[in-house]
Amino acid sequence: MAGVSLRDVTKRWGEFIGVDNQSLTIADQEFLVLLGPSGCGKTTTMRMIAGLEEPTSGDILIGERRVNDDLPKDRDIAMVFQNYGLYPHMTVAENIAYPLKVRGVARGDIPARVRTAAEQVELSDFLERKPKALSGGQRQRVALARAIVRTPQVFLMDEPLSNLDAKLRVTMRAELKNLSHRLRVTTVYVTHDQIEAMTLADRVAVMHKGRIQQLGTPVEIYNDPRTLFVAGFIGSPAMNLINGEIRDGAFHAEGRAILAISAQPRADIVLGIRPEDISVVQPGAGDLDAPVFASENTGESVLVTVRVGAQRITAKADRYTELGIDTTVGLKVDSSHIYLFDRESEFRVDA
Amino acid sequence: MPLSGRQQTRIWNGLQVVLILLFTLIMLVPIVWIALAAFKQHVDVYQLKLFFAPTLENFRTVFEEPYSLGRKLRNSTVVATATVLVAIPIATLAAYAFSRFDMRGRTLLLVLILATQFVPAVVIVLPFFVMFRDLGLLDTLRGLVLINTAIVMPFAIWMIKGFIDGIPIDTEEAALVDGSSRIQVIRNIVLPMAAPGLVTASIFCFIIAWNEFLFALILTNRDAVTLPVGLALFKAEEGDLWNLLAAAGIIIMVPMFVLALIIRKHFVQGMTMGAVR
Amino acid sequence: MRDRYLKYLLVAPAVLVVFATAVWPLFESLRYSFYAGRLSRPDFPQAFLGAENYLWAVSEEPAFWNSVWVTFLFTIVTVALTTVLALTFALLLAPGGRFRVGIQALLILPFAMSPALIGVSFRFMFNPEFGLFDAFFGALMPGFADIAWLSDPVLAFWVVVIADVWGWIPFLTLVLIGGLASIPQETLEAGRVDGASGARILRDITLPQLKPVLAVVIILKAIFSLKTFDLVYMLTNGGPGNATQTLSHYVYFNGFKYSNIGYSAAVAWLLVIPMLLLTYAYTRLVFAREEQ
Repeated sequence: MAGVSLRDVTKRWGEFIGVDNQSLTIADQEFLVLLGPSGCGKTTTMRMIAGLEEPTSGDILIGERRVNDDLPKDRDIAMVFQNYGLYPHMTVAENIAYPLKVRGVARGDIPARVRTAAEQVELSDFLERKPKALSGGQRQRVALARAIVRTPQVFLMDEPLSNLDAKLRVTMRAELKNLSHRLRVTTVYVTHDQIEAMTLADRVAVMHKGRIQQLGTPVEIYNDPRTLFVAGFIGSPAMNLINGEIRDGAFHAEGRAILAISAQPRADIVLGIRPEDISVVQPGAGDLDAPVFASENTGESVLVTVRVGAQRITAKADRYTELGIDTTVGLKVDSSHIYLFDRESEFRVDA
Repeated sequence: MPLSGRQQTRIWNGLQVVLILLFTLIMLVPIVWIALAAFKQHVDVYQLKLFFAPTLENFRTVFEEPYSLGRKLRNSTVVATATVLVAIPIATLAAYAFSRFDMRGRTLLLVLILATQFVPAVVIVLPFFVMFRDLGLLDTLRGLVLINTAIVMPFAIWMIKGFIDGIPIDTEEAALVDGSSRIQVIRNIVLPMAAPGLVTASIFCFIIAWNEFLFALILTNRDAVTLPVGLALFKAEEGDLWNLLAAAGIIIMVPMFVLALIIRKHFVQGMTMGAVR
Repeated sequence: MRDRYLKYLLVAPAVLVVFATAVWPLFESLRYSFYAGRLSRPDFPQAFLGAENYLWAVSEEPAFWNSVWVTFLFTIVTVALTTVLALTFALLLAPGGRFRVGIQALLILPFAMSPALIGVSFRFMFNPEFGLFDAFFGALMPGFADIAWLSDPVLAFWVVVIADVWGWIPFLTLVLIGGLASIPQETLEAGRVDGASGARILRDITLPQLKPVLAVVIILKAIFSLKTFDLVYMLTNGGPGNATQTLSHYVYFNGFKYSNIGYSAAVAWLLVIPMLLLTYAYTRLVFAREEQ
């Protein structure tokens, strides 16, 4: 039972800064997701918690204890790797048993604990197989079982679902969430998939270029993004981000007024609005009219993209909508859900 | 106070470096020692001196009679170069075919080609000696080129095949669709792309031919003697002139070092013929 | 020309060369082995002897069995020593980083020396009067200086072993480094997180995954050891007496010093048998992995 803290942690290789002086506190039993694109530093951060990388500066604490000088095996952690890291020459049972064997657990106790772990991931029938005789999903569960057999203080998971096909990923997501709650272990989870982050996390740390851009619950991140990056990264389809300026009580872009806004006039503003907060209406009945660029039917809705000058805006329309390209439509914006960002600093400028 | 995990790792690392340096020293000392001897005068050799007045006299002497290393150097160069010039084109064609085409018995052929490497040279040299004698090929450079071509061929085929395997087939297929003949494809597309691989294989085969000993020993006598065998003749004629021997050794070694360094990344692949990538 | 015919045409010259120079002589040698043959005489080969050459080697000739024994012992010892040392060195050099990679580059140097050259160098170093090794040894253990290394049968054998091992370590090390690099890093990191110490990771995780490459290395080295000629010729020429006379050298000696081609062909063919077995094992290993 322990939380994890990072204090002013930096990781640098020569000139390149992978993690830039970041601090983070993870509560005991919290499921924290490190979310971001490749190269943002999320995996590096987790590997530093694990002890597989050494921070250039800063402190890593697990449960109040500074663990910088501890080897991974002494940190009481368990890790699920992206490619599972299963021992190919051992059976499933031996794979799961390995942490116990190596830590000196009494030989008689091992089989029972292995069986329990296997049952929890529904692998009881596969104990005598070798990894190469298993499917991707089964291998992933072996990796999980190996992690939970020990009841460590912290679970670390490095994109464990990224090698599974889409359907399996959805199933495993639910299983992971359930498992982590049942076992009541602090979990640090790395992913680039924002849907995984939204569905699994108690809190999400969105990372970009070595820095945590925002730390908050999924709801907070979704509804209250603090930076342009977070706004554009979370949500699918992505939030519309329109470059323009505010003057004369309205937001102007591409040479025309888009929306009435009561705000200070300023230039270099980015207006953010999610597709689900824009409705497609008759031309003239909304805030602006524009020609259709594309119309994509996803089954549960139709995504209508219109051309506004050089920029595009996507709106989510009812799934029976049928629109031809270059037809003119009207867009009605729900002005209670707009966000304004400063283009230069990328920070949110409205509260 | 017990050492922390990180401190233990540091100490262990330090030990590793020491061991590595020790190993490396053992690996390099003989080479360095022989290299030094080449620059020593005769007396210094006997006195085991580490510091001495260097001289280039040895290098001059070995080129004169009766050692005439110059001729042997020329022979070695000619044989190795000619071997490469003959073997590489033949091997390239075969390697391309093995790589791009399915054929009945392909695996079997490849295995057999690989297996010939493991036939002890002594078994083969006897009939060759008789055949060369009958054909008047003894003590000729032509004969040596023939035999060396055969020796390097399996290595060449495997190395070049490995390179061609690594070239994406798309460009060739596009050219074939556009109307090129297979020969044109080989000439215009594959050869340029495989050029680094061909160079590597050529250098590798050059080294093998240069260092070849047994066949050169048995199949030559006077005119076509190559450098490594020349070294052996030293031992017969001049029992103890190590400084000269060392000089000759350097002349043999240094070109090989240079070449080996150039292709070092592919050395392993070449020698194991693809067993380890 | 259609691909169907072209491909055979492309392969033909190479296959021809290889078979003409490997397969034909092999069987021609076999033919010689059934005859009495003195090279010097023009009407070679002479009388048909059937299997007499073989029988002579096996039953009447102690020198033959001596060389069998020498070769056998030499192979076992050099394979074991080289493998262990190369594995150690490879483990030390595998982690990477500028220093280690630089050392790996240096390893090419001893490898570019041909066995003949290594033989000469070691003969130089083990000279009792001015050999470097002898001086070094004498400095370590005074009273044991000036040993006639190459004049004592047992010592000479071990000198040949040392020279051979020295010559092959660089190559085998590089092969094993390649093998270690192909082991997925995650299996090792999982071991570290699971709680295994360095030694345990080596034993439980690294070595089992290295087995295929290790097998290749061992078989390859065994094949090269069995073939050893150049080194022996230059270092001891089979001596003192025939204490270091490997089978290859014995064949050479009988064929070209005593001119007894028929007999040496027979002995050579007796050497072929273990080589065939090893070659079979090697190709099975390599091609089984290719199919994976």
